[in-house]
Amino acid sequence: MTMSRRKFLALSATAAALPALPTLAGCGAPDHSAGIGYWSAFANQQQRDYFQRARVDAFPGPGRVELTVKPNASIDQLTQTALAAGTGPDLVQTDGPAQVAAYAAAGYLHSLEDYARAYHWDRLLAPWALAASRINGELVALPADYETMIMLYNPATLHAHGWPVPRDRATFEAVCTEAKARGMIPVAAGNADWRASSEWWVTMALNHHAGPDAVYQALLGRLPWTDPVFVDAITTLSGYYQAGWWGGGVEDYFTNSFPQMYAALADGRAAFMITGSWASTEIAPYFGEAAGNSATWDWAPLFPLRAGVPDIVWDLGIGRTLSINANTDKPDETAAYLNFLESDPRRQADGVAEVGMQPAPIELTAADFPPGADAGQVRLYTELSNAATIGYTTWTFFPQQTDTQLYTNFDKVFTAQLSPADYLAGLDETFRRELRLGAVPTAPAPNGAAS
Amino acid sequence: MSAAIAARRRRGLIGWAFMLPLVAVNALVVLGPSLAAVYFSLTDWSGIGRAHWVGLDNYRELASDPDFGTALWHNLLWTAFFLVVPMAMGLFGAFALTRIRRGRLLLRVVYFVPYIVASVVTSAIWKNLLSPDLGIGRMLHVNVLGNIHLALPAVEIVNNWAWWGFLVVVFLAAMRDVNPNLYEAAALDGAGTFGQFWHVTLPSIRPTFLFLGLMTIIWSFLSFDYVYVLTQGGPAGSTDLLSTLLYRDAFAELRAGYASAIGVVMALISAVVVVGYLAVRKRKDWTV
Repeated sequence: MTMSRRKFLALSATAAALPALPTLAGCGAPDHSAGIGYWSAFANQQQRDYFQRARVDAFPGPGRVELTVKPNASIDQLTQTALAAGTGPDLVQTDGPAQVAAYAAAGYLHSLEDYARAYHWDRLLAPWALAASRINGELVALPADYETMIMLYNPATLHAHGWPVPRDRATFEAVCTEAKARGMIPVAAGNADWRASSEWWVTMALNHHAGPDAVYQALLGRLPWTDPVFVDAITTLSGYYQAGWWGGGVEDYFTNSFPQMYAALADGRAAFMITGSWASTEIAPYFGEAAGNSATWDWAPLFPLRAGVPDIVWDLGIGRTLSINANTDKPDETAAYLNFLESDPRRQADGVAEVGMQPAPIELTAADFPPGADAGQVRLYTELSNAATIGYTTWTFFPQQTDTQLYTNFDKVFTAQLSPADYLAGLDETFRRELRLGAVPTAPAPNGAAS
Repeated sequence: MSAAIAARRRRGLIGWAFMLPLVAVNALVVLGPSLAAVYFSLTDWSGIGRAHWVGLDNYRELASDPDFGTALWHNLLWTAFFLVVPMAMGLFGAFALTRIRRGRLLLRVVYFVPYIVASVVTSAIWKNLLSPDLGIGRMLHVNVLGNIHLALPAVEIVNNWAWWGFLVVVFLAAMRDVNPNLYEAAALDGAGTFGQFWHVTLPSIRPTFLFLGLMTIIWSFLSFDYVYVLTQGGPAGSTDLLSTLLYRDAFAELRAGYASAIGVVMALISAVVVVGYLAVRKRKDWTV
């Protein structure tokens, strides 16, 4: 076969352009599939199967749901890219209010105000949760699940050493001192698997040492983060690390993984573990029949680390939010599905009991849980539903840059590379900048009321 | 127009026609994003929504950002390590292989295998080996990945384990092209093994040596995977490189504009190295 030069050049140019065509074709074309598109990620196959059965297939309509499972590690980036291209799922999932604020500012999210009135979400959801989901006064997301900080322990370990469950700082420090002296790990902790986990313990220090009132005032910009009340809190927490209480030692802290921590709690090498309520799901395989031992676990709320701080403060956090894509062609069906996911206490409690899913912030009673539900989890979520004083998890109520700086630089504090005062000065500078930009999520008052 | 000129022009056009797909793909995936990165480095883009022009603010902030300074210093240490340790191991490993006959192929394969293992796999293996609860870490009672002074050298050593075998293979190929008469002449002049290596081998493979040095510098500034899997920049930022800092700024802090500025600086550093190398090569009239 012969080919003229002109034809050859024309074909070459066409061939060169071919790879670009699918990209160009995708531009500006929202994902208008037949069903309500929803991208989500799951901790394990069990949760995924449960969600498909109880939350997707069970949706009575209108419309049907098309669930697409994405990797946990990349769902945020995938969603972000799709939304920027004008596509993406009808129901948009984010990892918290800070991301909601960014999406809302970019015009990616549909207002939920009309649906909130139609479905009475103000009666359903906790006021603090709704407050945190408003951007510039407009509701653009609903919290899909919520969490709090708790202290886990193995009752047999405490009993064997004659230690009480700490209800105050003095008892906690006495047990930690004794545990360390006996060669144990006072608090199972580490950040090898999740570098940001240092923020969990900074959350504890801020809310239970400085106190929720101080944190609230700081979030409103009325109190600088350089205030002595925060310096004292960070100094105290850093001291716990330097005493080798967190993870058994500073170096071990950086290489401790979650399985190591759970195992240490189960086999009695660790006295406590201070973590998020999500751990009550992850910890199960290390205890009892599943792990081939007789160990059990229980939890207790965190205690005040300073006089004047309320006895019980529930540090509330939103781990996942749901919004409606501004480009969806089926907002009403998507809102109906959103209401289905959020509204039924029994459905929420069933997810907790069956596969350890975190519930939406709605009121749960013991009667909502199915028979055989873990007593610890039932107690946790029923007590949490009645929280009188709330604290502020940094990953929910702090703006993005401040929060990232908070955990990356705290590691430099307890390794003595940065003083608590300098750490907080840097944090305050970043926070002030983000406050001026309007990037600070709305914080409810410590009594849980919308601010 | 003479027939010879027409034929030359036709050959040129056909050559360009073959190049066109590559040029188009490069324009799409390299040139476009590169220009976009330069533009975004001059904005406050979060990675979401609109970008606002801020001029050189991001670059001014870089100049006073201690995290950037630390990461740049780590990159320089990283580069120095890879210019010395694996290059020396690769040179001497290759030279040693030229001196043996039996087992040469097997050793080449053994040295090269770590290079073709995925970096994530290599990192995961070494993470366990260095763990204070298992393997080497337990035997030596040292937690290298948890120690702010040892973590960076440890990650370098892990990366080098996978890297130096590649250098052996490349240096060996260059050494096999050295004229054997030069070794005979050197031997007659009384040069021993080291003398032959120093006076014959090294000068003969200098273009390859310098090219790999150039690539080592460029690749060192692009290193990311081993650090990310082994330490994620920790402990306490002691293994942060420019690439991990860029990643954190872009995806954790949602500062894509600032991260773009870091990327532009990384590209400029590589550009300076390449231009320097090309200038030296031109002056010395080297061919690779």
